Amino acid sequence: MELFLMSLSTGIMVGGIYALVALGWVLIYKCSGVLNLAMGELTLIGAYVTLTFYSIGIPFILSILLSLIVGIILGILVERIFLDKLIGEPLLAVIMVTVGISFFLKGIIEFIWGTETRVFTPPVFPLKPFTIGFLKISTVYFWSFLLAIVVFGAFVAFFKYTRWGLAMQATADDETAALSLGVSARFVYAAAWAIAFTAAGIGGALLGNINGVNISVGYLGLLVLPAVVLGGLNSVPGALMGGLIIGVLQNLAGTYLDRYFPGGVKEVFPFAFMVVFLLFKPYGLWGWERIERV
Amino acid sequence: MSAKFLPCGVYHEDYKHDHAFWQTKFVKGKMILLFLLTFVFIPMSAGSYWLSVCNQIGYTVLCALGVQLLIGYTGLITLGHAAFVAVGAYTSTLLVLQFHWPQFFLDWGLAYPFSIIVAGLTAGLWSVLFGLPSAKVKGFYLILTTMAAQFITVDFILTQYVSQIGGRGQAFSLPPGTIKIGPWIIDDEVKVYYLMAVLVTLMVFALANLVRSRPGRAWIAIRDNDISAEVMGINIVWYKLLAFFVAGFMAGIAGAFWVSNTAALSPEHFTWSWSLWLVGVILIGGVGSVDGIIFGSIFMVLVMELLQMATIYLGDFFPQLMMKFLYVKESAFGLAICAFLIYEPRGLSYRWWQIKNYFNLWPFSY
Repeated sequence: MELFLMSLSTGIMVGGIYALVALGWVLIYKCSGVLNLAMGELTLIGAYVTLTFYSIGIPFILSILLSLIVGIILGILVERIFLDKLIGEPLLAVIMVTVGISFFLKGIIEFIWGTETRVFTPPVFPLKPFTIGFLKISTVYFWSFLLAIVVFGAFVAFFKYTRWGLAMQATADDETAALSLGVSARFVYAAAWAIAFTAAGIGGALLGNINGVNISVGYLGLLVLPAVVLGGLNSVPGALMGGLIIGVLQNLAGTYLDRYFPGGVKEVFPFAFMVVFLLFKPYGLWGWERIERV
Repeated sequence: MSAKFLPCGVYHEDYKHDHAFWQTKFVKGKMILLFLLTFVFIPMSAGSYWLSVCNQIGYTVLCALGVQLLIGYTGLITLGHAAFVAVGAYTSTLLVLQFHWPQFFLDWGLAYPFSIIVAGLTAGLWSVLFGLPSAKVKGFYLILTTMAAQFITVDFILTQYVSQIGGRGQAFSLPPGTIKIGPWIIDDEVKVYYLMAVLVTLMVFALANLVRSRPGRAWIAIRDNDISAEVMGINIVWYKLLAFFVAGFMAGIAGAFWVSNTAALSPEHFTWSWSLWLVGVILIGGVGSVDGIIFGSIFMVLVMELLQMATIYLGDFFPQLMMKFLYVKESAFGLAICAFLIYEPRGLSYRWWQIKNYFNLWPFSY
């Protein structure tokens, strides 16, 4: 029982971070219809940039903020250089451009930072776990979860209450109508990419705190794809729920299934689950069901 | 790119002529020349370095055939094709190493050829397994199931379980002499080259003919609009699964061939980036064209070789560049995909088509 609660709580904590990265993904999809496969690399960039700032002596929160600025600039650049020219092209072209971007960014990341694991030194969060009742929760997970949820809330509030957020929602809903009401679509796309970079960046910085930063953080960034599919491609609450569910499932699988299938069951279980899930609910939990006509 | 302009003064007089694979004597002549080039000229004149480059190209072609069939002809985007290549490679290796063949089978050198076919079938069935969701989902959701195929097959099943068979640890290695076709032991570049050339010729021929037959037309109809295809009476689930099977079969054969080239096998040969690389190859070559696979493979492999040469040359001046070559390669590939999609979305085969038409219609191109 205790083991179950432990993995459950860890799952929820990690799931919060996945939810944050998944939010960045859903945003791009909602606003511009781009399916972004470069999410893993965006997470990596966030992790490495934060780490670099942190290791030259800037406090953690400040280095996250600095990495946000880098993220915004990179997001706008990526959108302007690559994706701006592909509005209205077929699905494959747009996906493959993001794949191209992911190769490009990955090469650059490895070129600059190498492949060995780097850790945040000195550790940002105290190593000693604290206990609630009989539950032991590691401090890293707890603070990461809290930070992730706060940032998630901030993003949702941004969409609901600010002018820019409303403009983005309008574009997502009906691009032509939004254009005719004076919303600049190009601005919205650039903003979506900037926000996705920042969301992924914060997620990456937090994930990097858990096990150190190396290329596998990019793989963790890819784990948001099952989360997104589970929640439905174009649903913000779906991103939150999907992230939490994937986090929990992953940890439960790691705890209970590892005995029977030793090895990397924790990493592939979300994907296996997703394939089976899609057979029964092809549009995820809250995705829009598209009715197609000839 | 379906419409081909015939040269000036050539008319079809009956349907047989109209449906012919090679429509004019000139095309037939070109094909015979190409055949001579691949089977006589290149192996006679090229050194072992260039032959190994050719083998690399051939392997890329074999792998990309299935991707082209799925993406370019059936419209099912796959990002996990390396998994099926891996299944083929492992099936073939395990059959050759672990199966107890009757002695005459070994003496006649039938074990490896037989294992190639079994590898193709296994990979095809494995591919159908992951194609099953395509009955219900499409677009991005389907992309994710193919990605799942990659991670489940390579990162989990092959790495954790299959690689442990025989207690060799992570990598399999085939002792010399085990890869034997008939009387020939495949042990140097020239023999690998011939094996590659035969397989590539057969497979390209098969695919080119398949896409102009009944299944091929059904696949193209599904790609262009699956709902209207269904309305017209095409059983889309059956044909989608058939596409997955054929694509998986070709990937399996590619994998089984790869074993003969490296004589060693480990899951690192079949990473997710190799799957993405294959999709990139057909994008650069041209989606929905058989020529495109070959052009894309030649282009990508040659560009990478040139990059490597440049790095080795520059390495004298900047030693740290040598170690980072892999990263430069990745970045260059990413940029190439982006540039092609933005500036040349129809790929290299479209240029080739334009050049051919220019000469076919010359001097009256209007």
